[in-house]
Amino acid sequence: MTEFQSILGQMLAPKYLGWLVDGLWLTLLLSAIVSVLSTLLGIVIAAARSSQRCFLSFPARSFLSIFRNTPLLVQLFFWYFGVSSLLPESSVEWLNTVHSLTLGPYLKLTWPSFELLCAIFGLSLYSTAYVSEEIRAGMRGVADAQRLAAAALGLNRWQGLRYVILPQAIRIALPPLLGQYMNIVKNTSLTMAIGLAELSYTSRQVEAQTLKTFQAFGVATLFYVATIALIETMGQLIRRKQRLADGVQR
Amino acid sequence: MQFSVLTDNLPYLLWGAYPDGPLGGAALTVLLSIGSALASALLGLVLGIALSLARGWPHLLLTMVLGLFRAIPVLMLIFWTYFLLPIVFHINVPGVLSVMCALALIGGAYLAHSVQAGISGIKAGQWDAGLSLGMTRTAVLRHIVLPQALQMMLPSFVNQWVTLIKDSSLAYIVGVGELSFVAAQVNSRVMIYPAEIFLFIGLIYFVLCSGLGWLADRAAAYFQATTT
Repeated sequence: MTEFQSILGQMLAPKYLGWLVDGLWLTLLLSAIVSVLSTLLGIVIAAARSSQRCFLSFPARSFLSIFRNTPLLVQLFFWYFGVSSLLPESSVEWLNTVHSLTLGPYLKLTWPSFELLCAIFGLSLYSTAYVSEEIRAGMRGVADAQRLAAAALGLNRWQGLRYVILPQAIRIALPPLLGQYMNIVKNTSLTMAIGLAELSYTSRQVEAQTLKTFQAFGVATLFYVATIALIETMGQLIRRKQRLADGVQR
Repeated sequence: MQFSVLTDNLPYLLWGAYPDGPLGGAALTVLLSIGSALASALLGLVLGIALSLARGWPHLLLTMVLGLFRAIPVLMLIFWTYFLLPIVFHINVPGVLSVMCALALIGGAYLAHSVQAGISGIKAGQWDAGLSLGMTRTAVLRHIVLPQALQMMLPSFVNQWVTLIKDSSLAYIVGVGELSFVAAQVNSRVMIYPAEIFLFIGLIYFVLCSGLGWLADRAAAYFQATTT
Protein backbone atom coordinates (compact mmCIF):
# COMPACT_ATOMS: atom_id res chain seq x y z
CA MET A 1 0.00 0.00 0.00
CA THR A 2 2.76 2.41 0.91
CA GLU A 3 4.38 1.51 -2.36
CA PHE A 4 1.25 2.39 -4.24
CA GLN A 5 1.11 5.71 -2.45
CA SER A 6 4.70 6.48 -3.27
CA ILE A 7 3.90 5.95 -6.95
CA LEU A 8 0.77 8.05 -6.88
CA GLY A 9 2.12 10.55 -4.38
CA GLN A 10 0.64 14.01 -4.22
CA MET A 11 -0.54 16.22 -7.01
CA LEU A 12 1.86 18.36 -9.02
CA ALA A 13 2.57 21.88 -7.78
CA PRO A 14 0.71 24.64 -9.68
CA LYS A 15 3.96 25.81 -11.20
CA TYR A 16 4.49 22.48 -12.97
CA LEU A 17 0.86 22.25 -14.01
CA GLY A 18 1.44 25.66 -15.58
CA TRP A 19 4.31 24.22 -17.63
CA LEU A 20 2.06 21.43 -18.86
CA VAL A 21 -0.71 23.86 -19.78
CA ASP A 22 1.83 25.94 -21.74
CA GLY A 23 2.84 22.75 -23.53
CA LEU A 24 -0.79 21.92 -24.29
CA TRP A 25 -1.29 25.40 -25.70
CA LEU A 26 1.63 24.98 -28.11
CA THR A 27 0.40 21.50 -29.08
CA LEU A 28 -3.05 22.90 -29.89
CA LEU A 29 -1.65 25.87 -31.81
CA LEU A 30 0.70 23.68 -33.84
CA SER A 31 -2.08 21.14 -34.54
CA ALA A 32 -4.45 23.85 -35.73
CA ILE A 33 -1.91 25.44 -38.07
CA VAL A 34 -0.82 22.07 -39.46
CA SER A 35 -4.43 20.92 -39.96
CA VAL A 36 -5.29 24.00 -42.01
CA LEU A 37 -2.10 23.91 -44.09
CA SER A 38 -2.27 20.17 -44.78
CA THR A 39 -5.92 20.42 -45.83
CA LEU A 40 -5.18 23.23 -48.31
CA LEU A 41 -2.12 21.47 -49.69
CA GLY A 42 -4.00 18.15 -49.58
CA ILE A 43 -6.66 19.49 -51.95
CA VAL A 44 -3.96 20.47 -54.43
CA ILE A 45 -2.22 17.10 -54.20
CA ALA A 46 -5.52 15.21 -54.41
CA ALA A 47 -6.48 17.14 -57.55
CA ALA A 48 -3.06 16.52 -59.08
CA ARG A 49 -3.11 12.83 -58.13
CA SER A 50 -6.48 12.20 -59.77
CA SER A 51 -5.51 14.13 -62.90
CA GLN A 52 -5.36 12.26 -66.21
CA ARG A 53 -2.19 14.08 -67.10
CA CYS A 54 0.99 12.20 -66.32
CA PHE A 55 3.08 15.29 -65.53
CA LEU A 56 0.61 16.15 -62.76
CA SER A 57 -0.19 12.73 -61.33
CA PHE A 58 3.36 11.35 -61.32
CA PRO A 59 4.87 14.02 -59.02
CA ALA A 60 1.86 13.69 -56.73
CA ARG A 61 2.28 9.91 -56.60
CA SER A 62 5.99 10.22 -55.82
CA PHE A 63 5.27 12.78 -53.12
CA LEU A 64 2.75 10.46 -51.46
CA SER A 65 5.03 7.45 -51.69
CA ILE A 66 8.07 9.23 -50.25
CA PHE A 67 6.28 10.98 -47.40
CA ARG A 68 4.15 8.00 -46.40
CA ASN A 69 7.01 5.52 -46.37
CA THR A 70 9.52 7.38 -44.21
CA PRO A 71 9.19 8.12 -40.49
CA LEU A 72 8.08 11.57 -39.43
CA LEU A 73 10.99 11.76 -37.01
CA VAL A 74 13.54 11.34 -39.80
CA GLN A 75 11.69 13.90 -41.91
CA LEU A 76 11.79 16.38 -39.03
CA PHE A 77 15.51 15.76 -38.52
CA PHE A 78 16.08 16.28 -42.20
CA TRP A 79 14.29 19.63 -42.22
CA TYR A 80 15.80 20.74 -38.94
CA PHE A 81 19.43 19.67 -39.30
CA GLY A 82 19.71 18.98 -43.01
CA VAL A 83 18.09 21.97 -44.61
CA SER A 84 19.81 24.46 -42.37
CA SER A 85 23.13 23.03 -43.54
CA LEU A 86 22.11 23.38 -47.19
CA LEU A 87 20.77 26.92 -46.95
CA PRO A 88 23.19 29.83 -47.26
CA GLU A 89 24.53 30.89 -43.89
CA SER A 90 23.01 34.37 -43.90
CA SER A 91 19.45 33.06 -44.33
CA VAL A 92 19.89 30.56 -41.49
CA GLU A 93 21.06 33.35 -39.27
CA TRP A 94 18.03 35.40 -40.26
CA LEU A 95 15.72 32.46 -39.49
CA ASN A 96 17.32 31.92 -36.12
CA THR A 97 17.19 35.49 -34.89
CA VAL A 98 14.05 36.87 -33.32
CA HIS A 99 12.07 39.21 -35.50
CA SER A 100 9.13 41.09 -34.20
CA LEU A 101 6.68 43.45 -35.71
CA THR A 102 4.97 45.93 -33.43
CA LEU A 103 1.50 46.90 -34.53
CA GLY A 104 0.15 49.58 -32.26
CA PRO A 105 0.68 49.60 -28.50
CA TYR A 106 -0.78 46.14 -27.74
CA LEU A 107 -0.30 43.90 -30.72
CA LYS A 108 3.17 42.56 -31.25
CA LEU A 109 3.81 39.84 -33.81
CA THR A 110 6.91 37.75 -33.28
CA TRP A 111 8.44 35.65 -36.00
CA PRO A 112 8.30 32.04 -34.78
CA SER A 113 11.44 30.21 -33.71
CA PHE A 114 13.31 28.05 -36.20
CA GLU A 115 12.11 24.95 -34.31
CA LEU A 116 8.48 25.94 -34.68
CA LEU A 117 8.94 26.75 -38.37
CA CYS A 118 10.54 23.36 -38.99
CA ALA A 119 7.80 21.63 -37.02
CA ILE A 120 5.06 23.37 -39.00
CA PHE A 121 6.78 22.71 -42.30
CA GLY A 122 7.70 19.08 -41.63
CA LEU A 123 4.40 18.09 -40.01
CA SER A 124 2.35 19.80 -42.73
CA LEU A 125 4.12 17.94 -45.52
CA TYR A 126 3.86 14.60 -43.70
CA SER A 127 0.18 15.10 -42.85
CA THR A 128 -0.65 16.28 -46.37
CA ALA A 129 0.35 12.85 -47.65
CA TYR A 130 -2.45 11.34 -45.51
CA VAL A 131 -5.04 14.13 -45.70
CA SER A 132 -4.87 14.30 -49.51
CA GLU A 133 -5.70 10.59 -49.84
CA GLU A 134 -8.83 11.07 -47.71
CA ILE A 135 -9.85 14.05 -49.83
CA ARG A 136 -9.23 12.06 -53.01
CA ALA A 137 -11.39 9.23 -51.69
CA GLY A 138 -14.09 11.85 -50.99
CA MET A 139 -13.76 13.22 -54.52
CA ARG A 140 -14.19 9.73 -55.95
CA GLY A 141 -17.36 9.41 -53.88
CA VAL A 142 -18.93 12.31 -55.75
CA ALA A 143 -20.89 11.00 -58.73
CA ASP A 144 -19.25 11.66 -62.09
CA ALA A 145 -22.50 13.18 -63.33
CA GLN A 146 -21.81 16.12 -61.02
CA ARG A 147 -18.61 16.92 -62.89
CA LEU A 148 -20.37 16.58 -66.23
CA ALA A 149 -23.25 18.75 -65.02
CA ALA A 150 -20.78 21.43 -63.93
CA ALA A 151 -19.11 21.28 -67.33
CA ALA A 152 -22.52 21.49 -69.06
CA LEU A 153 -23.27 24.65 -67.08
CA GLY A 154 -20.15 26.19 -68.57
CA LEU A 155 -17.96 26.02 -65.46
CA ASN A 156 -14.36 25.34 -66.27
CA ARG A 157 -12.45 22.49 -64.69
CA TRP A 158 -11.20 24.55 -61.73
CA GLN A 159 -14.61 26.14 -61.06
CA GLY A 160 -16.26 22.74 -61.22
CA LEU A 161 -13.81 21.45 -58.65
CA ARG A 162 -14.14 24.49 -56.41
CA TYR A 163 -17.93 24.96 -56.43
CA VAL A 164 -19.35 21.51 -57.23
CA ILE A 165 -17.01 18.64 -56.44
CA LEU A 166 -15.07 19.85 -53.38
CA PRO A 167 -18.00 20.91 -51.16
CA GLN A 168 -19.51 17.46 -51.58
CA ALA A 169 -16.19 15.64 -51.34
CA ILE A 170 -15.23 17.33 -48.06
CA ARG A 171 -18.61 16.38 -46.66
CA ILE A 172 -18.12 12.73 -47.57
CA ALA A 173 -14.52 12.73 -46.36
CA LEU A 174 -15.26 14.47 -43.07
CA PRO A 175 -15.13 11.44 -40.72
CA PRO A 176 -11.77 10.14 -42.00
CA LEU A 177 -10.47 13.71 -42.17
CA LEU A 178 -11.23 14.22 -38.50
CA GLY A 179 -9.33 11.00 -37.85
CA GLN A 180 -6.36 12.53 -39.65
CA TYR A 181 -6.64 15.71 -37.56
CA MET A 182 -6.49 13.50 -34.47
CA ASN A 183 -3.34 11.91 -35.90
CA ILE A 184 -1.91 15.39 -36.39
CA VAL A 185 -2.49 16.19 -32.70
CA LYS A 186 -0.75 12.95 -31.74
CA ASN A 187 2.08 13.49 -34.21
CA THR A 188 2.93 16.91 -32.81
CA SER A 189 4.48 14.98 -29.90
CA LEU A 190 7.42 14.07 -32.16
CA THR A 191 8.48 17.70 -32.47
CA MET A 192 9.95 17.42 -28.99
CA ALA A 193 12.87 15.68 -30.71
CA ILE A 194 13.82 18.95 -32.43
CA GLY A 195 13.41 20.86 -29.17
CA LEU A 196 9.94 22.32 -29.42
CA ALA A 197 8.44 22.74 -25.94
CA GLU A 198 5.07 21.15 -26.65
CA LEU A 199 3.11 18.88 -24.32
CA SER A 200 5.33 15.78 -24.46
CA TYR A 201 8.46 17.88 -24.04
CA THR A 202 7.08 19.69 -21.01
CA SER A 203 5.81 16.45 -19.46
CA ARG A 204 9.31 15.02 -19.76
CA GLN A 205 10.68 18.22 -18.24
CA VAL A 206 8.25 18.12 -15.32
CA GLU A 207 9.07 14.46 -14.78
CA ALA A 208 12.78 15.22 -14.65
CA GLN A 209 12.28 18.14 -12.24
CA THR A 210 9.79 16.61 -9.82
CA LEU A 211 10.47 12.87 -10.25
CA LYS A 212 6.69 12.45 -10.10
CA THR A 213 6.60 10.15 -13.11
CA PHE A 214 3.02 9.04 -12.73
CA GLN A 215 1.54 12.52 -12.31
CA ALA A 216 3.59 14.21 -15.04
CA PHE A 217 2.72 11.67 -17.72
CA GLY A 218 -0.77 11.19 -16.31
CA VAL A 219 -1.70 14.85 -16.73
CA ALA A 220 -0.14 15.02 -20.19
CA THR A 221 -1.99 11.86 -21.24
CA LEU A 222 -5.25 13.30 -19.93
CA PHE A 223 -4.68 16.47 -21.98
CA TYR A 224 -4.12 14.41 -25.13
CA VAL A 225 -7.17 12.23 -24.52
CA ALA A 226 -9.29 15.33 -23.82
CA THR A 227 -8.14 16.96 -27.08
CA ILE A 228 -8.94 13.83 -29.09
CA ALA A 229 -12.32 13.54 -27.34
CA LEU A 230 -13.05 17.17 -28.21
CA ILE A 231 -12.40 16.54 -31.92
CA GLU A 232 -14.57 13.42 -31.75
CA THR A 233 -17.42 15.37 -30.16
CA MET A 234 -17.10 18.12 -32.75
CA GLY A 235 -17.33 15.49 -35.48
CA GLN A 236 -20.49 14.03 -33.93
CA LEU A 237 -22.08 17.48 -33.73
CA ILE A 238 -21.22 18.31 -37.33
CA ARG A 239 -22.57 14.98 -38.53
CA ARG A 240 -25.80 15.49 -36.63
CA LYS A 241 -26.21 18.94 -38.12
CA GLN A 242 -25.56 17.51 -41.59
CA ARG A 243 -28.16 14.81 -41.05
CA LEU A 244 -30.71 17.39 -39.92
CA ALA A 245 -29.94 19.59 -42.93
CA ASP A 246 -30.32 16.59 -45.23
CA GLY A 247 -33.66 15.80 -43.63
CA VAL A 248 -34.97 19.28 -44.37
CA GLN A 249 -33.87 19.12 -47.99
CA ARG A 250 -35.43 15.79 -48.79
CA MET B 1 26.70 16.90 -51.26
CA GLN B 2 29.39 14.75 -49.80
CA PHE B 3 28.68 11.05 -49.51
CA SER B 4 31.96 9.78 -48.06
CA VAL B 5 30.45 10.33 -44.60
CA LEU B 6 28.02 7.52 -45.45
CA THR B 7 30.59 5.02 -46.67
CA ASP B 8 32.74 5.73 -43.62
CA ASN B 9 29.89 5.07 -41.20
CA LEU B 10 27.98 2.49 -43.20
CA PRO B 11 28.59 -0.53 -40.94
CA TYR B 12 27.68 1.49 -37.87
CA LEU B 13 24.44 2.71 -39.47
CA LEU B 14 23.51 -0.78 -40.64
CA TRP B 15 24.26 -2.92 -37.59
CA GLY B 16 25.73 -0.66 -34.93
CA ALA B 17 28.83 -1.83 -33.09
CA TYR B 18 27.65 -5.41 -33.51
CA PRO B 19 30.48 -7.94 -33.29
CA ASP B 20 32.15 -5.94 -30.49
CA GLY B 21 29.12 -4.28 -28.96
CA PRO B 22 25.34 -4.44 -28.91
CA LEU B 23 23.39 -4.79 -32.14
CA GLY B 24 22.06 -1.48 -33.41
CA GLY B 25 21.23 0.55 -36.49
CA ALA B 26 19.04 -0.77 -39.29
CA ALA B 27 19.38 -4.36 -38.02
CA LEU B 28 17.88 -3.39 -34.67
CA THR B 29 15.11 -1.46 -36.42
CA VAL B 30 14.23 -4.59 -38.37
CA LEU B 31 14.30 -6.80 -35.26
CA LEU B 32 12.29 -4.28 -33.26
CA SER B 33 9.73 -4.04 -36.07
CA ILE B 34 9.41 -7.80 -36.50
CA GLY B 35 9.04 -8.35 -32.77
CA SER B 36 6.38 -5.70 -32.30
CA ALA B 37 4.64 -6.69 -35.56
CA LEU B 38 4.21 -10.27 -34.33
CA ALA B 39 3.12 -9.14 -30.87
CA SER B 40 0.68 -6.58 -32.27
CA ALA B 41 -0.81 -9.13 -34.68
CA LEU B 42 -1.36 -11.61 -31.87
CA LEU B 43 -2.78 -8.95 -29.57
CA GLY B 44 -4.97 -7.52 -32.34
CA LEU B 45 -6.31 -10.95 -33.20
CA VAL B 46 -7.16 -11.85 -29.60
CA LEU B 47 -8.68 -8.46 -28.79
CA GLY B 48 -10.54 -8.32 -32.10
CA ILE B 49 -12.11 -11.73 -31.52
CA ALA B 50 -12.97 -10.72 -27.97
CA LEU B 51 -14.50 -7.51 -29.29
CA SER B 52 -16.73 -9.31 -31.77
CA LEU B 53 -17.82 -12.01 -29.33
CA ALA B 54 -18.33 -9.86 -26.22
CA ARG B 55 -21.71 -8.32 -25.48
CA GLY B 56 -22.92 -5.80 -22.91
CA TRP B 57 -20.55 -4.17 -20.46
CA PRO B 58 -17.39 -6.20 -21.28
CA HIS B 59 -17.78 -5.00 -24.87
CA LEU B 60 -18.15 -1.41 -23.70
CA LEU B 61 -15.16 -1.68 -21.40
CA LEU B 62 -12.98 -3.18 -24.12
CA THR B 63 -14.03 -0.49 -26.60
CA MET B 64 -13.12 2.18 -24.09
CA VAL B 65 -9.71 0.72 -23.30
CA LEU B 66 -8.92 0.33 -27.00
CA GLY B 67 -10.14 3.90 -27.59
CA LEU B 68 -7.76 5.13 -24.91
CA PHE B 69 -4.78 3.45 -26.56
CA ARG B 70 -5.77 4.93 -29.90
CA ALA B 71 -6.12 8.40 -28.40
CA ILE B 72 -2.67 8.77 -26.86
CA PRO B 73 0.45 9.46 -28.92
CA VAL B 74 2.86 6.55 -29.34
CA LEU B 75 5.55 8.68 -27.76
CA MET B 76 3.47 9.14 -24.60
CA LEU B 77 2.92 5.38 -24.33
CA ILE B 78 6.67 4.81 -24.75
CA PHE B 79 7.20 7.19 -21.82
CA TRP B 80 4.73 5.18 -19.78
CA THR B 81 6.32 1.83 -20.52
CA TYR B 82 9.89 3.10 -20.35
CA PHE B 83 9.73 5.12 -17.14
CA LEU B 84 6.93 3.47 -15.23
CA LEU B 85 7.35 -0.28 -15.82
CA PRO B 86 10.69 -0.39 -13.93
CA ILE B 87 9.20 1.59 -11.01
CA VAL B 88 6.08 -0.56 -10.75
CA PHE B 89 7.67 -3.97 -11.18
CA HIS B 90 11.08 -3.23 -9.64
CA ILE B 91 12.83 -4.85 -12.54
CA ASN B 92 15.21 -3.37 -15.01
CA VAL B 93 13.34 -3.39 -18.31
CA PRO B 94 15.66 -2.97 -21.30
CA GLY B 95 14.75 -0.01 -23.51
CA VAL B 96 14.15 -2.18 -26.57
CA LEU B 97 11.61 -4.27 -24.70
CA SER B 98 9.67 -1.31 -23.35
CA VAL B 99 9.48 0.27 -26.82
CA MET B 100 8.38 -3.07 -28.28
CA CYS B 101 5.74 -3.26 -25.59
CA ALA B 102 4.39 0.22 -26.40
CA LEU B 103 4.38 -0.41 -30.16
CA ALA B 104 2.64 -3.75 -29.72
CA LEU B 105 -0.07 -2.22 -27.51
CA ILE B 106 -0.83 0.61 -29.95
CA GLY B 107 -0.64 -1.67 -32.99
CA GLY B 108 -2.84 -4.24 -31.25
CA ALA B 109 -5.44 -1.62 -30.37
CA TYR B 110 -5.68 -0.50 -34.00
CA LEU B 111 -5.66 -4.03 -35.40
CA ALA B 112 -8.37 -5.19 -32.99
CA HIS B 113 -10.85 -2.94 -34.80
CA SER B 114 -9.73 -4.22 -38.21
CA VAL B 115 -10.13 -7.80 -37.02
CA GLN B 116 -13.57 -7.04 -35.68
CA ALA B 117 -14.52 -5.38 -38.97
CA GLY B 118 -13.18 -8.40 -40.86
CA ILE B 119 -15.19 -10.82 -38.74
CA SER B 120 -18.38 -8.79 -39.02
CA GLY B 121 -17.80 -8.64 -42.79
CA ILE B 122 -18.38 -12.39 -43.02
CA LYS B 123 -22.01 -13.09 -43.89
CA ALA B 124 -24.29 -14.47 -41.17
CA GLY B 125 -25.06 -17.41 -43.44
CA GLN B 126 -21.51 -18.70 -42.90
CA TRP B 127 -22.09 -18.80 -39.13
CA ASP B 128 -25.49 -20.44 -39.57
CA ALA B 129 -24.07 -23.04 -41.93
CA GLY B 130 -21.32 -23.93 -39.49
CA LEU B 131 -23.64 -24.09 -36.50
CA SER B 132 -26.17 -26.22 -38.37
CA LEU B 133 -23.39 -28.71 -39.08
CA GLY B 134 -23.11 -29.11 -35.31
CA MET B 135 -19.92 -27.10 -34.89
CA THR B 136 -19.43 -25.01 -31.76
CA ARG B 137 -19.10 -21.23 -32.01
CA THR B 138 -15.35 -21.36 -31.50
CA ALA B 139 -15.01 -24.08 -34.12
CA VAL B 140 -16.98 -22.02 -36.62
CA LEU B 141 -14.82 -19.01 -35.83
CA ARG B 142 -11.61 -21.00 -36.12
CA HIS B 143 -12.35 -23.06 -39.22
CA ILE B 144 -14.83 -21.01 -41.23
CA VAL B 145 -14.93 -17.34 -40.29
CA LEU B 146 -11.31 -16.47 -39.46
CA PRO B 147 -9.68 -17.99 -42.57
CA GLN B 148 -11.94 -15.85 -44.75
CA ALA B 149 -11.73 -12.77 -42.54
CA LEU B 150 -7.93 -12.85 -42.27
CA GLN B 151 -7.58 -12.65 -46.03
CA MET B 152 -9.73 -9.54 -46.12
CA MET B 153 -7.78 -8.06 -43.23
CA LEU B 154 -4.36 -8.48 -44.83
CA PRO B 155 -4.17 -4.90 -46.19
CA SER B 156 -4.94 -3.34 -42.81
CA PHE B 157 -2.36 -5.57 -41.12
CA VAL B 158 0.28 -4.49 -43.62
CA ASN B 159 -0.63 -0.82 -43.23
CA GLN B 160 -0.29 -1.19 -39.50
CA TRP B 161 3.09 -2.88 -39.86
CA VAL B 162 4.35 -0.10 -42.12
CA THR B 163 3.25 2.36 -39.43
CA LEU B 164 5.06 0.20 -36.91
CA ILE B 165 8.35 0.32 -38.80
CA LYS B 166 8.05 4.10 -38.92
CA ASP B 167 7.07 4.35 -35.26
CA SER B 168 10.04 2.23 -34.22
CA SER B 169 12.07 5.38 -34.91
CA LEU B 170 10.56 6.85 -31.73
CA ALA B 171 12.85 4.55 -29.75
CA TYR B 172 15.33 7.34 -30.42
CA ILE B 173 13.69 9.43 -27.69
CA VAL B 174 14.51 6.89 -24.97
CA GLY B 175 17.99 6.21 -26.30
CA VAL B 176 17.55 2.78 -27.91
CA GLY B 177 20.27 2.46 -30.54
CA GLU B 178 18.12 1.78 -33.59
CA LEU B 179 18.51 3.41 -36.99
CA SER B 180 17.33 6.94 -36.14
CA PHE B 181 19.36 6.98 -32.95
CA VAL B 182 22.63 5.94 -34.56
CA ALA B 183 21.94 8.40 -37.37
CA ALA B 184 21.55 11.23 -34.86
CA GLN B 185 24.70 9.98 -33.13
CA VAL B 186 26.72 10.00 -36.35
CA ASN B 187 25.23 13.38 -37.19
CA SER B 188 26.31 14.96 -33.94
CA ARG B 189 29.77 13.43 -34.25
CA VAL B 190 30.37 14.55 -37.83
CA MET B 191 28.36 17.77 -37.54
CA ILE B 192 28.67 18.98 -41.13
CA TYR B 193 26.71 16.53 -43.34
CA PRO B 194 23.25 16.25 -41.78
CA ALA B 195 21.37 16.39 -45.09
CA GLU B 196 23.29 13.44 -46.55
CA ILE B 197 22.89 11.36 -43.39
CA PHE B 198 19.14 11.86 -42.97
CA LEU B 199 18.46 11.43 -46.70
CA PHE B 200 20.24 8.09 -46.54
CA ILE B 201 18.38 7.05 -43.38
CA GLY B 202 15.11 8.08 -45.03
CA LEU B 203 16.05 5.90 -48.00
CA ILE B 204 16.61 2.85 -45.77
CA TYR B 205 13.22 3.33 -44.12
CA PHE B 206 11.66 3.89 -47.54
CA VAL B 207 13.07 0.60 -48.82
CA LEU B 208 11.86 -1.26 -45.70
CA CYS B 209 8.34 0.22 -45.78
CA SER B 210 7.67 0.15 -49.50
CA GLY B 211 9.26 -3.29 -49.70
CA LEU B 212 6.74 -4.57 -47.17
CA GLY B 213 3.92 -2.90 -49.11
CA TRP B 214 5.13 -4.50 -52.34
CA LEU B 215 5.26 -7.95 -50.71
CA ALA B 216 1.72 -7.47 -49.42
CA ASP B 217 0.47 -6.51 -52.88
CA ARG B 218 2.01 -9.68 -54.28
CA ALA B 219 0.43 -11.76 -51.50
CA ALA B 220 -2.98 -10.17 -52.11
CA ALA B 221 -2.69 -10.86 -55.85
CA TYR B 222 -1.73 -14.45 -55.09
CA PHE B 223 -4.74 -14.97 -52.81
CA GLN B 224 -7.00 -13.37 -55.39
CA ALA B 225 -5.71 -15.78 -58.01
CA THR B 226 -6.19 -18.85 -55.82
CA THR B 227 -9.70 -17.99 -54.64
CA THR B 228 -11.23 -17.02 -57.97
